Amino acid sequence: MWTTVLVSGITLGSFYTLVALGFALIFGVTHTFNLAHGELIVFAGYVAYWMWKTYGVSLLLTFPAAILATLVLCLILQRLFSRLREPMEMNSIVLSFGLAILLQNGMLFFFSGDYRLIRVPLLNQRIHLPGLSLSYGQFTLLTISLLVLALTYVLLHHTYLGKALRATIQDRESAALAGINVRGMGILAFAIGAVLIGLAGPLFGSIHYLYPTAGLQATLIAVTITIFAGVGQIRTLILGGWILGFAESCTVVLLGASWRELVSAIMLLTLLALRPHGILGREEQ
Amino acid sequence: MLDKTTSKIQYRVSSIENLAFKFVLFFSFNLLQSSVRWLEIISIAEGDREVLCKPSWSAVCFLLFFFWCTTATVVAEPIKIGEINPLTGRLAKQGLEIHQGVAVAVAEVNDRGGLNGRRVELISRDDQSQPDVAISRAEELCGWRKVVGLTGGYVDSLVGPISEVAKKYEVPYVASASLQKELSQDENPYFFRVAKLQGFIQPICNILSEQLRPRRLAILYAATPGSTEFAHGLEKCLHSRGIALHVMEKFRPGTPDFTPLIGKLASLNIDVIVSGGFSADHLLFVRQLKENRVSPKAYIGPFGIAYKSFIREMGENGEYLYSTCAWDPEITLPGTEKISEAFVERFRRMFQSEPNTTNMHGYTSTRVLLTAMGNVVGRDKALTGPNIRKALTELDLLLPMERVAFDKHGDPLHYQHLVVQIQNGRLQVVYPPDRATAAPIYPMPKWGERK
Repeated sequence: MWTTVLVSGITLGSFYTLVALGFALIFGVTHTFNLAHGELIVFAGYVAYWMWKTYGVSLLLTFPAAILATLVLCLILQRLFSRLREPMEMNSIVLSFGLAILLQNGMLFFFSGDYRLIRVPLLNQRIHLPGLSLSYGQFTLLTISLLVLALTYVLLHHTYLGKALRATIQDRESAALAGINVRGMGILAFAIGAVLIGLAGPLFGSIHYLYPTAGLQATLIAVTITIFAGVGQIRTLILGGWILGFAESCTVVLLGASWRELVSAIMLLTLLALRPHGILGREEQ
Repeated sequence: MLDKTTSKIQYRVSSIENLAFKFVLFFSFNLLQSSVRWLEIISIAEGDREVLCKPSWSAVCFLLFFFWCTTATVVAEPIKIGEINPLTGRLAKQGLEIHQGVAVAVAEVNDRGGLNGRRVELISRDDQSQPDVAISRAEELCGWRKVVGLTGGYVDSLVGPISEVAKKYEVPYVASASLQKELSQDENPYFFRVAKLQGFIQPICNILSEQLRPRRLAILYAATPGSTEFAHGLEKCLHSRGIALHVMEKFRPGTPDFTPLIGKLASLNIDVIVSGGFSADHLLFVRQLKENRVSPKAYIGPFGIAYKSFIREMGENGEYLYSTCAWDPEITLPGTEKISEAFVERFRRMFQSEPNTTNMHGYTSTRVLLTAMGNVVGRDKALTGPNIRKALTELDLLLPMERVAFDKHGDPLHYQHLVVQIQNGRLQVVYPPDRATAAPIYPMPKWGERK
């Protein structure tokens, strides 16, 4: 049973990280607190569902369409958010809250309130490894999440563009003084965020279920993991995701399913009290 | 006495309404002719006051008559009823379904000529799945729009606040989907509902104790008031029948992963699972049962399984699941087949889709309200809150979902679900035996043994 808990915790944590990555990146670079993040993931899921249902394309081929759709939408949102004035965080909360409601009702209109699933029979099959058994669904989720996280890590830490992005996350004014186009970095963050959202959406639609208000859960996950990792600490996101996923899985087995959210909340509050800059974050001098 | 006089005036007004309307049409035609003449005169003899004055007198006479006629028709306005549902927000799907059922009931009555010749006007409002919005919409409908009755409503957290406003304005409210016991225990003479939680608990308790007799039973329930009350009610009933409970776990609706919980249930050798979750929870839970190759003898989900959309989305994994159902196009109360068929046909015509049990809840509550209102006007009484309330307490009406009669708390006396099982992609009634359309398949085949 404990291997099941371990696999479940790591898989769930990796998916949590993928969901949170786009949010953390956009928030870090542009200080936009996008409450419509979950709705964008669900929107990407619906695009994939529509492709799969209407044209019968496989799950893998729905990713480019979902990425393209979210890219267009995110760049429109970036234009909207860029018009906001300081305090950016507060104003973006208000704007994105309205956008979230708009997106929810739009999806309700086009896709109805029915629960939708991108059904891939293979995902229900199991892989048996020595001392370990996991489903193809878990395996796919884990593989794609880790691959995307690795690529994002390489982009952020081993390319000039990534260094410019990280510099903007750390200090926008200093980055601007160093000649980095901060406005351009904002557009880039939204574009990378859109790609990540476009990848998370179809996975969400094939592992969980799509319905217009499902995005709220994803937004909460994204906010929680970002706080866990520390704002701007992209590298520690995966650690935060795994800790949260594993803690939730263990809690269900040891204490019961009703304790799941309470334990997560206690962990979050404790972390905020003891390490407000994230798990591995350092206090500013 | 006063009621009777008011009712008679209203009746006379409505009977002269048609006559007045014909007069209005006749004079409108005359006015059109006069206007044409008037324009001709203006263009031909501009400045000739004597010629211009003649048609203006006739116009004044016409206007006076027109205002008299329209004043008379205002008194005989359509009968207004209000409906508050979550049409947007997290409960939008269910709210829209209730609304469709309500719309069918109103269309049906209007096609039959309304109530005593008066059309019924439905005023729909969206509570956005939020209790505070529900209160403001109820205040608007009862206080400003002066509706004579309220219907609709989904879940107790929204129905409860609406019922309080209805009580304040003495407007009878027949709720479509409300379950919690506490809501009807609050002394509110204007609150009625067509559903109750006991209608779910009793049939499940019966089939578990009489037919399935599980050795190790688990009850899982969602962290919502209705689901929690259901779980505790079922636990109490099973305890009274001598059935032991091995696991009782609460979970949050929309939990993203049930794998650890499934692992725990498997390690405890649970053979029957009763889950008070909703559609999305069942969809995920059952799929993860299959992924983890955990095969209980029965999986019973009272809420959210007995829907064609669920069966469609679940596909073959939905086979053998148990649920409860109050009505379905193929499952109707004996003796109500014609009403049920008429409802299905009208629903298809209006919405180009198949109705489900939630639609029927909306239809039933509205039919109940309209029937009571029809009884009031039929007795030459005024459509006041107390009169409609009295008619509701005296009601005994056979409808496809249930025979509707209320107890002193406004709860339905005969609301009872049937236990159904998905067999070959269709809902089959498996309990009670006198309504069964198929024998229950128990234990359900293990995942590995299925085709």
